[in-house]
Amino acid sequence: MLENYLPIMVFIFLGIAFGVGPMLIGYLLGPNKPDKEKNSQFECGFPPFDDSRMYFNVRYYLVAILFILFDLEVAFVFPWAVVQSDLGWFGFISMSIFLFLLVVGFIFEWKNGALEWE
Amino acid sequence: MMNTFQFDTASLLLALPEIFLLSAIVVVLLLDLFLTKRFKQVTYYLTQASLLITGVLSYNLIGHPETVIFSNSFVLDDMASVFKVFMMGFSMVAMVYSRHYLTQHSLFRGEYFILVLLSILGMMVMVSGYSLLTLYLGLEILSLSLYTLIAIARKRSGAIEAALKYFVLGAIASGLLLYGMSMIYGISGSLNISDISAFASDANLGARETLIINFGLVFLVIGIAFKLGAVPFHMWVPDVYQGSPTSVTMFISTVPKIAAVAMLVRILVDGLGAMHAYWADLFMVLAVLSIALGSVVALMQTNIKRMLAYSTISHVGFIMLGFVTGVVSGYGAAVFYVFVYILISLAAFGIIILLNKEGFEADQISDFKGLSKHSPWFALMMLAVMLSMAGVPPFIGFYSKFFILQQVISAGFITLAVVAVVFAVISAYYYLQIIKSMYFEDADKDITISAPMDIQLVLSINAILILVVGIFPDFWMKLALSLF
Amino acid sequence: MTFDQILFYVFSFWFIASSLAMIFSRNAAKAVLFLILSFFSAASIWILLEAEFLAITLILVYVGAVMVLFLFVIKMLNIDKSTLRAKFTGYLPLGLLVAAIIIVEMTLVLGGNQFGLDIVTAPARHAADYSNITVLAMQLYTVYVYPFELAAVLLLIAIIASITLVQRNELNRKKQSISEQVNVQAKDRVRLVSITTPSKEDK
Repeated sequence: MLENYLPIMVFIFLGIAFGVGPMLIGYLLGPNKPDKEKNSQFECGFPPFDDSRMYFNVRYYLVAILFILFDLEVAFVFPWAVVQSDLGWFGFISMSIFLFLLVVGFIFEWKNGALEWE
Repeated sequence: MMNTFQFDTASLLLALPEIFLLSAIVVVLLLDLFLTKRFKQVTYYLTQASLLITGVLSYNLIGHPETVIFSNSFVLDDMASVFKVFMMGFSMVAMVYSRHYLTQHSLFRGEYFILVLLSILGMMVMVSGYSLLTLYLGLEILSLSLYTLIAIARKRSGAIEAALKYFVLGAIASGLLLYGMSMIYGISGSLNISDISAFASDANLGARETLIINFGLVFLVIGIAFKLGAVPFHMWVPDVYQGSPTSVTMFISTVPKIAAVAMLVRILVDGLGAMHAYWADLFMVLAVLSIALGSVVALMQTNIKRMLAYSTISHVGFIMLGFVTGVVSGYGAAVFYVFVYILISLAAFGIIILLNKEGFEADQISDFKGLSKHSPWFALMMLAVMLSMAGVPPFIGFYSKFFILQQVISAGFITLAVVAVVFAVISAYYYLQIIKSMYFEDADKDITISAPMDIQLVLSINAILILVVGIFPDFWMKLALSLF
Repeated sequence: MTFDQILFYVFSFWFIASSLAMIFSRNAAKAVLFLILSFFSAASIWILLEAEFLAITLILVYVGAVMVLFLFVIKMLNIDKSTLRAKFTGYLPLGLLVAAIIIVEMTLVLGGNQFGLDIVTAPARHAADYSNITVLAMQLYTVYVYPFELAAVLLLIAIIASITLVQRNELNRKKQSISEQVNVQAKDRVRLVSITTPSKEDK
């Protein structure tokens, strides 16, 4: 059963090689002569005023939560799509009810302006 | 792969109350979105209508022979139908009281009613749950709605704290429950209650199986005790009761108790009844601790909602005592106790809401000072409620305690009964304190009752029922017994 | 040791190591990244157990969505590290005691003497063309259709709850009016102004 995953493993190794390889080559072959001026901030700019990690707006939170909910919905649709032709009408109706309830939620979302940006 | 699954469409008729309620929720939700501010009351009336129709549909299913549908995950029996009818009735009363409170504290929003309806749907799923999976899903539907209902009053101090506390502790309780369920599933190989029951009552059950069932059982009992609010898993109860808007406190402290007891019956009595000797011991400790702590700590409270929270804890102790007995009549007495407790509790919170004014919450015990002079009728009702909670005859609260103690004694737990009686007498003190401040103290502030007629009328009927049911308790007790 | 076992130990090692690193890392953002690594390791172990769909869902939902939310929350809050550490060391002895008791209990009840290979036989491996997702789906949408629809209700509640709790006033909302956008005419947007350029003779 594990042999099914061989292409994935090849893929992972190729991906790592492609990502790390060029950086490694550049690091090994490129000239590297740092000095004090080169390492100082921005050469002619200011020292930074504060932390570069700024706080995110709270509004992202709602977007992220709604994203999770619909992500979960999609997780339910995947297996359904695989066996849809075997399930027949019963499977179609059960998925329709499922999606209908989420569409109701979507209408609620839309009407309440959760999809809008202030 | 061929599909050999057969779905019996006729079984949908047996789940008609749930299906109707879900459809009603969708309609109310969509309609509420498109209603302008002027017509927001429509949501309230539609909510009441949906509850009424769901109740009638459930009532029509009473007497239907026990049937298990939806691939063994939904059971329709008399217990489910009767519980559903009572849930709808109590919820309707709670909604009548809530409306007044919500308008006065500018919390009147369509979402409030939709979340209440959704939580009731969750409770119905729990009451009819016949597999650990559906019981858990019903519990989550109920809990998620309740967390949101508390937090809906964002501007109220303490509401967010209460919601967060309830959420975190509720999530831990759900986790423990799930863990226990996974143990039971792992050893019995089934999520279905009747399969688990068959597995657990097998005479040849080995020591290994018994050990693992017991391991899961401990988690299940802890999870259920959390949801019921029994000591030592009660920490959330006082804070949640005090911090929530009063209408939400009223709802949380009443109707979900039916669902919690139903879940208890389904898992522990129907499923693991053969393990009664093991879980009864746990229940005994929980019950005694709850009765003792609830009665003693309530003495020191000045906030009436907090006091009622501790009183709930001690009532939960009595309910658990009924399950300690391990006989059908004991379970019946416990169910009777739940219904009585809810009836009394609704009236108590109804009177608190009645005394509310715009921007003022009558949640201190001192707010009841001199009520008898301003409104003798409602003072009389509060008197009936408090005497009933304390367990004074001929009020209904006496009989509910009496039936429980009768069963506990006949099951041979004399010491347990004595302890319960002693603490019941102690708890009478704080109920009497409220009566004292109503009748023998002068008001230090102006009391005016501005509530509309509907709440006054329903409240009066509610309080009269406390007395009337108290005169004829036998019929209701027989009904409770017939459920098992 | 078979190849499966080697893989199992490798993934388990990374699972435990990254979980520990998550607990002990002082930087909340790094803790989240370690948590992602431990989710990946857990998903790999599930794949070894032939629970492929569960493994994919774990990565899709938890790594793809929940962890993003975690990072948002960390970026939103100003977590004071010193107070966190004070609480941590304060509760440490009690926590260790409780953890030790739980570990002992669980090994006694769930350990090898209850669930060892001599008591419970190991499940047989499926053939290479066995599809976990097909089997699961055939059950989920037929036998478990009732819990499946309840899951939809649960998601609906989550949508309603999250929107109800963060709802803002309608006043300061920038709303897009689609009908106005569609009905707009060219003359509303472009104004043709005739400008006469002065000729050279006028100068």
